[in-house]
Amino acid sequence: MLNAPQPKPEDLPTPAQLRRSTLIAVIVAAVIGVTVVLPAEYAIDPTGLGGPTGLQEMGEIKQQLQREADEDDHHSDASQETHSLANAVFGLLIGTAHAQSVDASTEWTDEAVFTLAPGEGYEIKLTMTEGAVAEFEWIAEGGRINYDLHAHAGGKDARYKRGRGAKRDSGAFTAEFDGDHGWFFRNRDKQPVTVTLRVRGDYSEIKRDL
Amino acid sequence: MNITFRASGRGEGLLRAPFARIVAMALTLICISAPALAHNVTPGDAGYVQEVFGVNLIPFAYLGAKHMMTGYDHILFLLGVIFFLYKMKDVAIYVTLFAIGHSVTMISGVYFNIQMSAYIIDAIIGLSVVYKALDNMGYYQKWFGFQPNTKVATLVFGLFHGFGLATKIQEYQIAEDGLLPNLLAFNVGVEIGQILALAAILIAMGYWRRTASFMKYAFAANAAMVVAGLLLAADHMSHYFGLLG
Repeated sequence: MLNAPQPKPEDLPTPAQLRRSTLIAVIVAAVIGVTVVLPAEYAIDPTGLGGPTGLQEMGEIKQQLQREADEDDHHSDASQETHSLANAVFGLLIGTAHAQSVDASTEWTDEAVFTLAPGEGYEIKLTMTEGAVAEFEWIAEGGRINYDLHAHAGGKDARYKRGRGAKRDSGAFTAEFDGDHGWFFRNRDKQPVTVTLRVRGDYSEIKRDL
Repeated sequence: MNITFRASGRGEGLLRAPFARIVAMALTLICISAPALAHNVTPGDAGYVQEVFGVNLIPFAYLGAKHMMTGYDHILFLLGVIFFLYKMKDVAIYVTLFAIGHSVTMISGVYFNIQMSAYIIDAIIGLSVVYKALDNMGYYQKWFGFQPNTKVATLVFGLFHGFGLATKIQEYQIAEDGLLPNLLAFNVGVEIGQILALAAILIAMGYWRRTASFMKYAFAANAAMVVAGLLLAADHMSHYFGLLG
């Protein structure tokens, strides 16, 4: 009671046709494997095609993220249980951008200037107590930058703000808990990017996190 | 990497810190055993998509093709659709209908940011496999006395498969910068992946159809697809109701 009659043998591909199709399929699969999958997944590019297609860059980013995720797992055992907490504390007190002009620098307490090569990341943190407020502004020169303003401490986790391909940002944030709060910047542009970050407010220390 | 810290403003900043704190800070800067990297790394394809911005046509086409070729629910449905089709013209018509269906909802779903439960959509996709396998087994003619239009069914289920693709892309969070070109490239990749998967399926079916076991086990094979589709649907629904967390 199938919904189709027995196929007529003369309508079906002949064994010779099937063998030829199989051979072509195997060759195509091998070519795709070497020119596409190797660069896109493992950042291995034997043919050199991965560069112009952008697949090699994708493979490099994925390999880099994987290494960092592995290191994270290695270092922090508390990170797992804090994951859901990170989502729970989403509704945060983020100051709106005031678009303060950069040459108001006389009023800022600290300034950090760093240049990141493509693919490079930089983490900088303010040590704050719960409820403390910090104001900030930063600009990116030479290209655009990805950022993630967040905090982790004592098993707690906060995400204040994140973005990518940004040129500047400014505002204020209120520390959710005691600990280090700050930015992870990463250059995903094609050329070096210099970031100038200025901060002021209620923090005891500014430091670079490794 | 070039880094300069400097205090500005009222001569405060890093220089205001007492000596001990400067030493502590220097140690922090030097020490590699500092607290974890801890910037919530998302690895894999999603991590890549969440970090890049601008037009990246070939990488997004690759991701579309990869999603299709590794998405067993789409592959199972495709297998059901071409199970009894062996003339290239028929294969082309049905696969095109499926492609039109899923392209429409995939692009519009993401572009207009239509929010849906991925679990419910995926459960429906599982049921589309069940539907097609039952169709292949001839049950609709037995139960209802007529054959529901197979082309319409392929198109309509194509629409649901497209919503499924859309929910996956929404989870990816593609940057606004370059969204539409990247989305179109992803869709082109989905079609390329579908053609590649289809070629492999047709070759394997080609060998099988030439043997006597094809008609003998066609019923059993479609019964197995019913089971697989039901399992997929049940799995997604249990997630939706929170039974599996």
